[in-house]
Amino acid sequence: MTGRYVARRLLLFAPTLLSASILIFVLLRLVPGDIAEILVYQTGSESSAVQEKQIRQLRAELGLDRPVVVQYVAWLGAAFRADFGQSYSQKRPVIEILKERVPRSLELALLTILIAMLWAVPLGVVSAVRQNTWIDYVVRVLSISGLSLPIFFTGVLILYLLVRLFGWLPPLEFVSFTVSPWENLKQLIWPALAQAYYISAPITRLTRSQLLEVIRQDYVRTARAKGLGERAIVYRHALSNSLLPVVTFVGWWGGRLLGGIVIVEIIFSVPGMGSALASAVSQRDYPAVQAMVFVMALVFLTLNLLVDLLYAWLDPRIKYA
Amino acid sequence: MRRPPLRTLGRLAGRQPLGAAGAGIVVVLVLTAVFAPELAPHGAKDAAFSPYLPPSAAFPLGTDHLGRDMLSRVIWGARLSLWVGLVSVLVGVTLGGLWGVVTAYVGGVADSASQRVVDTLMALPPIILALSLMAALGQSVNNVIIALAVLLTPTAARTLRSLVLSIRESPYIEAARAVGCPHWRVIALHVLPNTLATYIVLVTVNISYAIVVEASLSFLGLGAPPDEPSWGAMLTAGTQALESAPWMFLFPGLAISVTVFGLNLLGDAIRDLTDPRLRGGLG
Repeated sequence: MTGRYVARRLLLFAPTLLSASILIFVLLRLVPGDIAEILVYQTGSESSAVQEKQIRQLRAELGLDRPVVVQYVAWLGAAFRADFGQSYSQKRPVIEILKERVPRSLELALLTILIAMLWAVPLGVVSAVRQNTWIDYVVRVLSISGLSLPIFFTGVLILYLLVRLFGWLPPLEFVSFTVSPWENLKQLIWPALAQAYYISAPITRLTRSQLLEVIRQDYVRTARAKGLGERAIVYRHALSNSLLPVVTFVGWWGGRLLGGIVIVEIIFSVPGMGSALASAVSQRDYPAVQAMVFVMALVFLTLNLLVDLLYAWLDPRIKYA
Repeated sequence: MRRPPLRTLGRLAGRQPLGAAGAGIVVVLVLTAVFAPELAPHGAKDAAFSPYLPPSAAFPLGTDHLGRDMLSRVIWGARLSLWVGLVSVLVGVTLGGLWGVVTAYVGGVADSASQRVVDTLMALPPIILALSLMAALGQSVNNVIIALAVLLTPTAARTLRSLVLSIRESPYIEAARAVGCPHWRVIALHVLPNTLATYIVLVTVNISYAIVVEASLSFLGLGAPPDEPSWGAMLTAGTQALESAPWMFLFPGLAISVTVFGLNLLGDAIRDLTDPRLRGGLG
């Protein structure tokens, strides 16, 4: 029953987010040496007695001397007010970093999906309509090789070619879309292309297999029997029915893209959420890491929720197992 | 009727040419990994030569920024990648699978509670979870294996759980219970054998995934320690010398791509063979 499924799915959202936040919190407390020690040892050249005192002071200041449960509740309360504390490495509130970086990464993800859909779906259609011809084989080998070329290799390869052939260099300043759409696209198009190549492989494969399945359905035979042209059959009857899993798959993959974005952003020097997270991890800026991972979990879960709801709405047969 | 195994293998290869190609690549890879000490002309960590030497007769793949022989590092890298991929997948999929099987069989509160744990582990994008785990555990090859195993556990648990939910309702399970089989015996003798095909597919499909994630972590500087011959870390070093020494990123990149390509082809073929809807009868 769709109603019950939707209700259950909605009810699970908040507890899952909460338990994920606990997981992140506990994980980052497992790090050997707490933040106070790291901060003091990073800067300090003082004697160890002075450092000891500084560490104790910092712990009290940051509330690290309190029990973990108390710390977590305090963190959660603040998080509800969109207060994620102070970033040590950037010396400013984490929420400011998020506000600046999240939109850029979302734009990159959106652009990636758009590009991938634009070429992956038609390729899948061609491959299915011309099943077992040389076009089909070429597309299948292309897409399976797309799956096999890790993003950090294709990304670096594209960067290498850009540098070698066009003398292109990653821009030093990020220009937002609202300031100059053209400049902005010039910055994001290459990382988007690199990632789109990677994710287009499963989209092509899924489109192909879905279309092949649908083409064998009774209503397609009916359409043929009443004398419809092949083109009308494929585009009007078959394709619209086979794209449903593709669309939901893309939504689901969009969430996973958040992980891949860390790598692409680093290769192409895009100052987004992913590169911020990577540098926060390497600089042991744990308040920033915690907030960023939490926000990623939030976006990821929201996307998954939307995809599931969309699916339930589009396909009434679905029910919660 | 039993056919000689070689002929069955030949028939299989004829039916799945792409899968056979994948199997060929995987065999070469495994041999490279096993015989790395014999094949590699130098040690993986020997920094005894001039840095940034282009490919030549003495150094077929050139040398890196620390003057290490790239060919040797790529060969030793096969051993590292395969070891990390294989162990993490075996541990992650086996533990996750058993977890899914048992909780699904028991059902009730145990099942719903365990599903909430799975939800939690799946609430983070995979790479981000691996990254957080590595930040917490610290950099070492064993910790990479642990992080990858944790990453794979929930998927395996969920997949096998849904399978066992349907197996549990089968008449033969009821029959086994009716003749007085204890639960552990039902699980061991009647449930587990029926999950084997899915288990094998999960393992083969995920090895290439684990290898890619390992390389991603190394690429981000959060995987194995930097002197370990990880293809991902070699790529990072290569990225820094993109213009002057392109061989530094090209060869490890090719190595990992060919590896993943072979494993994907093989995994695809195995999935096709174990899916009864696609099986054409193997005789």
